[in-house]
Amino acid sequence: MRADVWLVIGGMAIVTYLTRAPLLLALARRPLPPRLRLWLRLIPLAVLPALALPLILVDHGRLAVSLAHPPLWGAIVVVALASRRVNLLATVAAAVATVAVLRALG
Amino acid sequence: MASTMTRGTRAGFVASLALVPSVFVYGTVFGGLAVQAGLRAVEVWGMSLLVFAGAAQFVAVPMIAAGASPLAIVVTTYVVNMRHYLMAATLAPAFRAFPRGWLALVAHLLNDESFAVAVARQNPPDPWVYIGSAVAVFGAFLAGVLVGTQLGGLVADPARWGLDFAFPAVFLALVAVQLRGRAEWLIALASATLAVAIALVLPGNWHIVITGVVVSGVAALLLSPEPA
Repeated sequence: MRADVWLVIGGMAIVTYLTRAPLLLALARRPLPPRLRLWLRLIPLAVLPALALPLILVDHGRLAVSLAHPPLWGAIVVVALASRRVNLLATVAAAVATVAVLRALG
Repeated sequence: MASTMTRGTRAGFVASLALVPSVFVYGTVFGGLAVQAGLRAVEVWGMSLLVFAGAAQFVAVPMIAAGASPLAIVVTTYVVNMRHYLMAATLAPAFRAFPRGWLALVAHLLNDESFAVAVARQNPPDPWVYIGSAVAVFGAFLAGVLVGTQLGGLVADPARWGLDFAFPAVFLALVAVQLRGRAEWLIALASATLAVAIALVLPGNWHIVITGVVVSGVAALLLSPEPA
């Protein structure tokens, strides 16, 4: 038992829980005003590209927009398949395979 | 209620299967790296169970190994995880019917992937879809960590197999299915541009929190509350 490591883990667990629980508990019961509801409805649409695009286009702190950048082709595969309502598992598998093949060739 | 519960949970679980192999492999990578960095297996398991936040854990392990101050590690963890506030606020209205004890437990399972899967299907999301997804992701991560601490990482270089791309692929696919009209396109493009711009200048996860708040906030002020 290393007390210092467990202290760090305990601290990490507490602050992480403090990012997850308070708003979930506080906002679950309350009827929200329409504009706040609209805002909450739009958050995913703003958060999802913010999660995705930097993972695709930013490589080690640099913008990576080039035809030789496999994730760019993976992203094109995803948008092409997902906008045709292809199943999520198949879409992701095709994109992962595309990136793996291009990396193996490059 | 029971049938909604089973159907929703199953739907969330199935929708998350696209992610299970990658989450599992990343768990093994994390477990392997953490053990190599000098953490004991039981510490790695404890962290994964109690913190359950992959990005923050990947950041914390080298800091612990380098003997960084506990306060610095804890503050870094908090900043990396601040995006949870947005996700919790968005998910909250779906859990109106749940007892508080359940909510306290459900909160711990909050993760990027399950948030994405649940809100992309409908918003406010079906709480059971979220729970099904969270259970799949939590299970896959912990199983991966267990295997990783024992074997020292199952796949040495997940990027070689394109497995790192599963995460942006899922997020992007879930954006693509939501692009129904001009407003949705504008929001998604504005968010993509701003997030990339911020990610180029600010390290860490700031781009997610800032973009999420600013772009959705501006859009909510410009659009009228009732339609769509």
